[in-house]
Amino acid sequence: MSEKQIAGIIMLVLLVVLTFRLSKLKTTASKDQLVIGGLGLLLMLAGHYIGLFVAPKEAMMGDVGRILYVHVPTAWTALVTFLLAFVVAIASLWTGKRHWDAGLIAAVEVGVLFSVMLTLQGSIWAKPTWNTWWTWDPRLTTTAIMVLSFAGLLILRKVMGPSKRAAVFMAVGTIIAFTNVPIVYFSVKWWNTLHQNFSSTDTISSPMVLPLRLAAFGMLFLMCGLVLARARQSLKQLEFQDHAPDLPPESKPLELEKHTGESQ
Amino acid sequence: MTQGMIQGGWEYVWAAYSVSWLMIVCYIFLHYWRGRHG
Repeated sequence: MSEKQIAGIIMLVLLVVLTFRLSKLKTTASKDQLVIGGLGLLLMLAGHYIGLFVAPKEAMMGDVGRILYVHVPTAWTALVTFLLAFVVAIASLWTGKRHWDAGLIAAVEVGVLFSVMLTLQGSIWAKPTWNTWWTWDPRLTTTAIMVLSFAGLLILRKVMGPSKRAAVFMAVGTIIAFTNVPIVYFSVKWWNTLHQNFSSTDTISSPMVLPLRLAAFGMLFLMCGLVLARARQSLKQLEFQDHAPDLPPESKPLELEKHTGESQ
Repeated sequence: MTQGMIQGGWEYVWAAYSVSWLMIVCYIFLHYWRGRHG
């Protein structure tokens, strides 16, 4: 079995375990989020240190090429988080359970965090290599649509509150927004424009593999920790809002006194 | 782009890494803040 296949299996197992943890979500505090998130931060730190100070310069871009070790793992993690959100959205629609709804809010929110990070890093990388902060390249345009659609969903969810209708709306919205995610992934292959093609451990030279892999797994572990922590917090908020006392009934609109027509 | 065309550029590297770590730290802080203040 190749190293790449092992990495793929580890990623898949991690996602299955995370989905399982979300299916049994409770509001009680658990150390798993801290352990997974902490491990993620350590792995990321190691990957970034090697990428910045140990790995050689990239042949074409020189030192600017070191942005790869933060940009590529962020891109993978953002797409994987939205894939998780898609799976959780289906589970939420299917079962109508509150813990899936809380998991969905968490996955979308963390996905938006990583995709905003991705856009900023890409913009910083574009300046020295493409001589512009932004261009309407298909990869960039589809990524912008992805960020805005998921961020818009979060804002609308906040406005709609904790109702059942809001949970269904969020799940359906996530499934619709997710249809753009494969387009983001394949955009560089289909349109082959300014943005370079897929980056993976196969397309880079061997000294670059270790920092990229460490940073990628670090970010994936961090994402799992953040999603678990946020999902527990969301569930607590949703349950609190369920038990909150009802608002007082709406007061009747002011009515004008009926005019009897009698003159004084 | 030809080989070694971009010279230097560490300021962009630091900017990209700083923005990323700062966003992660701020999000973790936001999580704890929300935990305390609902």
